[in-house]
Amino acid sequence: MILKFVIVCSLAIMPLSASAQTSVRLLFSNVEKIQQMTSDVRAKVNLTQQKVSQGTKNMELIYYRRDSDDSFLIVFSAPESDKGNGYLRVGDNFWMYRRNTRTFQHINRDENIGGTNAHAEDFEKRKLTELYAPALDGAGNEILFEELLGKIPVYKFEVKAIVNDVDYPKKNYWVRRDNNLPLKEQSYSMSGTLMETAYYPQYTVVDGRYIAVKMLFVDEFEKGNKTLVEISNISTEKLQDYLFTKPYLENLSK
Amino acid sequence: MLGIAIGLGVTILIMASSFSRGIEDIMFNKVVSYVAGHVSVNMNEGFGKRVPVFRDRERLFDIIEKNCDKDAIIDEGVGIFTRAIGNGRADNMILVGVDTTRKITDEQQQEYDESFNVIDGKFEDLGRSGSANAVILSRDRADSLNVKKSDIISIRFRNVFGQNQSERLTVVGVLKNDNIFMQGVMFCELENVKAMMGYRPYESANIHITVKDPKRNAVRVADTIHAALTPGPAFISGKVSYNSGSSLSEGIESEVSRLRVSDSEVTVIPFRGDDDSIRLITSSFELVKGKMEDVILRDGVMVSSKLAEILGVAPGCEVMISYDTRFENQRVSFKVEIKGVFNADSVRGDKTIYMHEALFYPKFYDRIPDLDKDISNAFIPAESAPFKSALGMEWELLDRTRNSDEMRKKYAAQSRKKIRATTIDVNSMYESASDVLKLESVLNIITLSAVLILFFIILIGVVNTLRMTIKERTREIGTLRAIGMQRRDVWAIFMIETTLLALLASIAGTFFALILMWLLTLIEFNVTDNPLGILLVSNHLYFLPSLWNIAFNVALILVITVITAYFPAKRAANLSSAEALRHYE
Repeated sequence: MILKFVIVCSLAIMPLSASAQTSVRLLFSNVEKIQQMTSDVRAKVNLTQQKVSQGTKNMELIYYRRDSDDSFLIVFSAPESDKGNGYLRVGDNFWMYRRNTRTFQHINRDENIGGTNAHAEDFEKRKLTELYAPALDGAGNEILFEELLGKIPVYKFEVKAIVNDVDYPKKNYWVRRDNNLPLKEQSYSMSGTLMETAYYPQYTVVDGRYIAVKMLFVDEFEKGNKTLVEISNISTEKLQDYLFTKPYLENLSK
Repeated sequence: MLGIAIGLGVTILIMASSFSRGIEDIMFNKVVSYVAGHVSVNMNEGFGKRVPVFRDRERLFDIIEKNCDKDAIIDEGVGIFTRAIGNGRADNMILVGVDTTRKITDEQQQEYDESFNVIDGKFEDLGRSGSANAVILSRDRADSLNVKKSDIISIRFRNVFGQNQSERLTVVGVLKNDNIFMQGVMFCELENVKAMMGYRPYESANIHITVKDPKRNAVRVADTIHAALTPGPAFISGKVSYNSGSSLSEGIESEVSRLRVSDSEVTVIPFRGDDDSIRLITSSFELVKGKMEDVILRDGVMVSSKLAEILGVAPGCEVMISYDTRFENQRVSFKVEIKGVFNADSVRGDKTIYMHEALFYPKFYDRIPDLDKDISNAFIPAESAPFKSALGMEWELLDRTRNSDEMRKKYAAQSRKKIRATTIDVNSMYESASDVLKLESVLNIITLSAVLILFFIILIGVVNTLRMTIKERTREIGTLRAIGMQRRDVWAIFMIETTLLALLASIAGTFFALILMWLLTLIEFNVTDNPLGILLVSNHLYFLPSLWNIAFNVALILVITVITAYFPAKRAANLSSAEALRHYE
């Protein structure tokens, strides 16, 4: 009985060696391909942010992204207090627009967006494989397991940052075994404390690519804080240059 | 009545100037010196984000100490915005590093004791070992986090590179905070805070310098330090190797690296990425292989033809560059892909690689080479080289500015230039703490206004009083003149009378001012939630009279009185004795 239990457990959580059919490098590369946008994007984003000390805040924004130069434009349409405020990035220039003062202000990449935990640099086009590499155990093997996430067979693997310019130096991923879609992601601080868990419960297919349309970010440090992100009205039609200009943002925010 | 008016005027003047001096003292010697220092040296290594780190602390401190006043206090300013969680409650806090190992004078110790009133525990406990990240915080925040001495606080913050970090702190003391600005602050040993922030032991945060008599010395010290921080050329001097067969691994040199097929000494030199520099590079280098459009990209690398021949490389080949670091006794290496080969000559160097700054600086700063040791082996293009201004320096020293408006314009221009090297900015308090100093200017204006109002009061009072006096004493003047008193003597009588009156009234006014100031300082104000609380010391008004200041104010009143009495006294002296004797009221 005990032996059967041990065998079942070891089958359920079976570490794979790097020489097995799959590897962390391959999986992570697939995750990168899945998450990488290769066309212009327009979408509506709903954010529901719940903070223990501040209650629930609903935000709505329109997001435009141009693939050729990784420019993007964000305009808030809700709540009323943030309506009309926006962010514009073209090349290395990043501006914040405030509707009440009708002014543009140059901001840094580490400024947060609309009071959320998202930062300007989070919207940059960066390759995951240039930021992270597979973490290795004591024997020098990639840390990779087969597990069940609920009832879904997944691979679980660990990566660590290879550059300083990232939010979290260590991450764990749970990706589907059939199509390598990330379902869960845990992010750790430098001291090894679990800081955030992200869930990707829903995907849609647009132009043959998977896009996560529902994401839940749970703050593991300060319990009770979470943010639900829902993406809708996704369009991959080519976006015109005039969209990524200050006058357009100003007009859009009126 | 005139005497009373002058006495009251002196009282107001002395009290206003003493209060203004007290605020000035608080501003310069407490607020400004704690917040930003009288002089600050600020670094930013990040491109488009704040990364306040300088990779060679010893060198920076050496330069500053040699160019600073001997009695100046040089500190690293490290403060982190954190989200703190105590016992079931959370709040926002600022964690500030304090160097408890630094020797301080008794005067400084007394000042610290007055500023940081520890009601539970001791400030020295910050430096005690055995407690993980010992902190001292205000009573208000201890209450809001529901923690007491020996409790643990968890904090979340972003380190100097922007990475999310968490730490556990141990409460070793509670402060009775005297003003709103100290409420949200936790103090921790500087080295602990630096370690949390991700600084290596040999790296430095921004520097704050406190000088004596800052109004006189701050700008001078800032200018001197600025002049001494002129950067030298940035370069990496080491070895470059190429192995067409095996793949080499980056990082610390390993056994694999010894199987290289070809290698050579090399000097790696960065070129800037701004438009002007790119134009200069494009026009100054002739490529024999590869395309200049690829070289000027952010991962652009071009190697000299001589080096390419030695190594047997061409565009598309990956070479490994290795060098010795200044710290930690390491030999590090990194791979780059060749994008172009240029004609080698004595101006551009035989064994040189020119690299885009976006590729160069992250490597350079992460593991600083020993430039002093390497410069003898390195090839540094001459000043006369046509592309010299396009080459990268160790850091970018920003121009000095004189006020906050100039500073803002400077930063706006800097952000447009897209500087990749570490920027160093030397500011005096007139730029970094200008908003705080504006308050001091406002108070000076109020004091000056009080002086002007008093001037007019005295002017009108003295003139009218003397006119009335002269009118009433016309016959007396006539009598004095008739018995032989000269005009000069009559003038002197009135001048001396008025001056003596003003002097005695001033002395009385001074004593009254001192008594009133003493009485006002006895009143305790409860302003812990009011920003104006910064103007109080231990919740009491703070006056700073000085003998020189009082003497100056008294002398000012006397001068005003004498000036205003001059003409009426002269008119009295010029009265004809005959007419004066015939005068009836």
